[in-house]
Amino acid sequence: MNTNLNIEQLATHQEQNDPVEILRVALEHFPSSAISFSGAEDIVLIDMALRIRKDIQVFSLDTGRLHPETYRFLEEVRNHYGIQLELLSPDSRELEQLVRTKGLFSFYQDGHKECCAIRKVAPLRRKLATVDAWITGLRHDQTPVRASVPVAQEDTAFSTPEHALVKFNPLANWSSAQVWEYIRNNNVPFNELHRRGYISIGCEPCTRTTLPNQHERAGRWWWEEEALKDCGLHVATAEPSRPQPAEVA
Amino acid sequence: MTTHIIMVKKILADGAPCRKCGEVYERLLRDGLLQHIDRIVTADPHNPDSEGMRLAARHQVSRAPFFIVRDKGGNEHIYDSFLRLKREVLQARASTTEVALDLAERFPELDYI
Repeated sequence: MNTNLNIEQLATHQEQNDPVEILRVALEHFPSSAISFSGAEDIVLIDMALRIRKDIQVFSLDTGRLHPETYRFLEEVRNHYGIQLELLSPDSRELEQLVRTKGLFSFYQDGHKECCAIRKVAPLRRKLATVDAWITGLRHDQTPVRASVPVAQEDTAFSTPEHALVKFNPLANWSSAQVWEYIRNNNVPFNELHRRGYISIGCEPCTRTTLPNQHERAGRWWWEEEALKDCGLHVATAEPSRPQPAEVA
Repeated sequence: MTTHIIMVKKILADGAPCRKCGEVYERLLRDGLLQHIDRIVTADPHNPDSEGMRLAARHQVSRAPFFIVRDKGGNEHIYDSFLRLKREVLQARASTTEVALDLAERFPELDYI
């Protein structure tokens, strides 16, 4: 890891630069950088990175609940680019405990966080403990909480006192339209679910298609808006009703 | 335990605890840590004068459950993360899932990974 790199300066300096340049900085300063690939349009990161270096490290979180189309796409990416795609699985004991006590669809009642914690966050944390930097496809236009994501940052979520971690978000300033323009112009393979109206692609039970002009957030955890109010401590005029599991797209 | 710990939980209109409060209570029970909680008070959003609502307003906490820890010197510390309470005050080991869940809740941008 290059400890002389000033991430804050880098983020400011790189703000106007294109994703390839940000990737180049990441891969040069942090040779063990790993690209986190979700099986969606963040495929452009792999395509761009391979133009810089052939021995890139790519991983995906295999939650066990992805669409069959996404599994096929992961395999297509592996073959198309000739890369080693590392699939990270949840801890079997933690997962079995969840399913034994709460069943396979607890997220419709309890919210998605617990399931995501076991199937995604814990394996991710395990992986990130082995690298100095990781590269994500986060973009400002995806969700309000991502609106201020810098192109490079110290990862406050996964860094520990013993292990500093840097996160690069090369696509932060790109719009969805720019990503898709790159995909088309460079004949980049993409998940066939995008053809069927899926914008944001996650686990099958938690992803649905969206209507034109709907925000992509509408396609994920759509049943939770009311559920999240459940624990709020604000003076109430009427108790929010318990959400019902919505139809799965 | 040389501290005094209050757990503030929210109750819904039917008197049941909110989802998260119920889960945290179960975890305290399962991990044998409930004995360290000196008092459990309820916050009823339909009653702003309920003790829990008054404590939430006083400490400017917006989500349940939360914990008020009074140390030996009489100073109060607020813990709105059960994981932090478990590790720092109750000095108990957190499971892999608890750590991951805490991360998922504190860093919502992780939602789309």
